[in-house]
Amino acid sequence: MKIKELRDALNLRVLSEGDTEREISGGYCGDLLSFVMGRCPADSVWVTIMNNVNVLAVASLADAAAVILAEDTEPDEAVLAKARAEGLNLYTSPMTAFELCGRLYDLLA
Amino acid sequence: MRELSLNILDIAQNSVRAEAKNIEIALLEDENGWLTFRITDNGKGMDAETVRRVSDPFYTTRTTRRVGLGLPFLRMGAEMTGGSFSIRSKPREEGEGHGTVVTAVFNMKHIDAVPLGDMVSTVCVLLQGQPDIDWLFIHSTPAGEVRLDAAELRSILGEEVSLGETEVINWIRDYLDEQYSSLNP
Repeated sequence: MKIKELRDALNLRVLSEGDTEREISGGYCGDLLSFVMGRCPADSVWVTIMNNVNVLAVASLADAAAVILAEDTEPDEAVLAKARAEGLNLYTSPMTAFELCGRLYDLLA
Repeated sequence: MRELSLNILDIAQNSVRAEAKNIEIALLEDENGWLTFRITDNGKGMDAETVRRVSDPFYTTRTTRRVGLGLPFLRMGAEMTGGSFSIRSKPREEGEGHGTVVTAVFNMKHIDAVPLGDMVSTVCVLLQGQPDIDWLFIHSTPAGEVRLDAAELRSILGEEVSLGETEVINWIRDYLDEQYSSLNP
C-alpha cells in the first residue's frame, strides 16, 4: 500500500507531505521517543500523540514512511515548518491511536 | 529515555568526543523531589552559534547520521516535568577555562518524570570505555553522598593499572553499590 492510498483510506488530514508514492511495510505505535527510535521499522507508519520537533527527528532517524498524530494532535508552526522542510509525511486524525492502529492493521493485512 | 541514566550515558559521550580530560557528573537531590543533573567538562567547547543549535535534534556534529538526540531528549525530559535545561560553553580558541556545562533540573515527583535508573552501571560503562579520563561522579541526596573520583583511584593504584581492567571495574561497582546501600539502610 502506498502512503497516498493510506491517507485517503483513513481520511487523514495532511500537515506535511513528501513522497506519497512510498510503499508502506508496516506500522508502529508509541510515545516514548527514545524507545520508538530503536524499534520503529523502516518504511512503517508511526502513530503517536507526541507533537514536538523530536518526533520529526525520530521519524527521520528510523526512516518511517509517515507519522500520524492521533486524537487531533496539532503541532506548532515551527514543527510544521520543519516537517515541510524535511519533506516528511505528517498527518493528523481525530481517531485514537488504538483505532488508527486497528484500521491500519486491517488495511495492511 | 525510560531511565535518566541512559540519557546521562549519551550526554557524557558528548564530553568524551569533545576531548575532555576532566568530566564531572553531578546529581543533586533536594528534600522536595527536585533533581539537578550537571555535567561539566574541560573539552573543546562550542561557539555561541553552536550552543544555540545543540538542542535542535536536526543538529549533530556526527557525520554518520543526520540527527542528534541526546541533548534534545534531556531537555524534553526535564521540561516535561516542569524543570529546566541550560547549556554554557567556552570554546578552546578562547583559551583558559574552556569546556561545556550542561544542567538539567527535574521534578521527580511529576507524573511524567522517568526514574533515574542504574547510575552504578552508567558510571562503570563510562570508566571502562574511557579509563584515561579523570571522571568525577557525585550523587548528593538528603540522606548522604555517593562519590567516585577516578583521579584519586589512579593515584592509589598507580599509573600502570588501567581503571578499565575488569577487576578494577568490579571493585568500583561494589564500592558504589556499598555507598548507595548505606544511603538506604
